[in-house]
Amino acid sequence: MYWKPEIEILPQQQLRVLQAQRLQDTLSRAVNSPFYGKLFQKHGIGPETVKSVDDIRRLPFTTKEDLRNNFPYGFLTVPKQGAIRLHCSSGTTGNPTVIFHDNHDLSSWADLVARSLYCAGLRDTDVFQNICGYGLFTGGLGFQYGAERLGALVIPAAAGNTRRQIKLMQDFGTTAIHTIPSYLFRLHGAFQDLGLDPRRDTSLKLFVIGAEPHTDAQRRRIEELFGVKAFNSYGLSEMNGPGVAFECQYQNGLHVWEDAFLTEIIDPDTLQPVPDGEEGELVFTTLDRHAMPLLRYRTRDLTRFLPGDCPCGRTHRRLARISGRSDDMFIIKGCNVFPMQIEKVLMRFAEVGTDYVIELETFDGNDELTVKVELQKEWFTGDIEALEKLSRQIAHEVRDEILVTPAIRLVEPGSLPRSEGKAVRVIDSRKS
Amino acid sequence: MIAHQVSIFLENKPGRLEKVTSVLKETGINIRAMTLSTSSAGWGILNLLVDRPETACKKLSEAGHPAVLREIVVVRMQDRSGALHDMLSLLALAGLNVQNAYGTVLGDNKTAILVIDVEDTEHVQQIFDSAGVQALTSKEVYGL
Ligand SMILES: [Zn+2]
Repeated sequence: MYWKPEIEILPQQQLRVLQAQRLQDTLSRAVNSPFYGKLFQKHGIGPETVKSVDDIRRLPFTTKEDLRNNFPYGFLTVPKQGAIRLHCSSGTTGNPTVIFHDNHDLSSWADLVARSLYCAGLRDTDVFQNICGYGLFTGGLGFQYGAERLGALVIPAAAGNTRRQIKLMQDFGTTAIHTIPSYLFRLHGAFQDLGLDPRRDTSLKLFVIGAEPHTDAQRRRIEELFGVKAFNSYGLSEMNGPGVAFECQYQNGLHVWEDAFLTEIIDPDTLQPVPDGEEGELVFTTLDRHAMPLLRYRTRDLTRFLPGDCPCGRTHRRLARISGRSDDMFIIKGCNVFPMQIEKVLMRFAEVGTDYVIELETFDGNDELTVKVELQKEWFTGDIEALEKLSRQIAHEVRDEILVTPAIRLVEPGSLPRSEGKAVRVIDSRKS
Repeated sequence: MIAHQVSIFLENKPGRLEKVTSVLKETGINIRAMTLSTSSAGWGILNLLVDRPETACKKLSEAGHPAVLREIVVVRMQDRSGALHDMLSLLALAGLNVQNAYGTVLGDNKTAILVIDVEDTEHVQQIFDSAGVQALTSKEVYGL
């Protein structure tokens, strides 16, 4: 029934005690990092500050800005030699965010992912095809190590080449897939092109989907098309990656692993906890990470706790699916994108000025990103080829930055809203 | 003197073309011929043959449109089948990359002209000269 019953069905009260112990341990490690060492001194904080989990509110928040400003080693609690892996955000503008792991951390992460997959129904008899980017993106290695820990046969298929993905499924009798939801629509189209019906011509029985916003209706549609149950996965690279919260067989919200992540939901404006069950911003404190613990990390993801017990018996509370962001980040094709990244690329092209609008739309089940930019009068030569080349160049450089190829749409000068104050730069009309 | 057309960047949207023609109307510019080359990315370039290209370009630019003058070569076409093909073959043989070429019949319904938009207008002039084809002067073009 459970991967780690002694943790997964631990009564809430005892879970809080475990959290308090681990929080103290985490604080005594965090103080060794340059960032928290200084912060604790400034605020007079130490491990003894925290007697119960509610005392966490006496600690300040940690933000993505803090991670960037203290790049690369400011959060490390051990000498650099002690770390054995890093994952960092992509992009070439500004400092990325980087997370370091030591041996313990990688093992603990693999165990959380194994627990998550087991919770969704994966077993050691399954053949698990991991269709997502490997490398810096945490979904590749994260699920690889987790599914291996569980004992499944793992195919590190990585992203792309749909025909080959189908061949792998057929050659090895794949029973489970992890990928982003939009890819499953494309995959289904490819099955149809080959005259195949995945319900009949594959052994698939379980999907794990995440890293991309989608609605419950989309999930149900995927389940219908493939005749396969699809389970939601939630994670973020600052909290390792996948394995933070996961759906169980009842598909009624995501159990957040409270032994590893102290979870708060706050009002993003007042920074106070929201009343139980109300929506707010997710804030996590790592409870089992050694090389780089993070305290009260603001995720910017908006969600709420779901009330009541889960029939599966797990005591870890359930989160509703992420409803949005408290900043302007958006996710497309599994990549996190900040409008600022695109803006910085546009600034390199004098031909298009700095006003822009990002449009997100769904065509045939695929999410597409369009960047509208104004052609500057002074740079217009009347040469159609030059403009097409310019569009290609911008698309290429944006792709290098955000890993998604945009459509570049040149518009007439003055036709986009001016960049005064908080202009709405992102128009998300994806089906939801 | 080399003749010019006005090239204008336009979005493929209802009302955009009308905005351009209204500026020209206010300024009393006469349009002799026009073509629109469109890109697949939702925009295009409008090429206008007008009686006063400099004024037209200035006014359009003032009205916020990306507009430039581009050199063109204009020749009168003979009224026979294959005339257009012969002209373009001359240029193709010389290895010239024609950005845009458009023919039009003028108001008198008797005169047909070919407008050629290339990077190197002088080269085109030479080719036509040596083939015995007479290019129109700018004065002739604007007075058509
Ligand atoms: Zn459950």
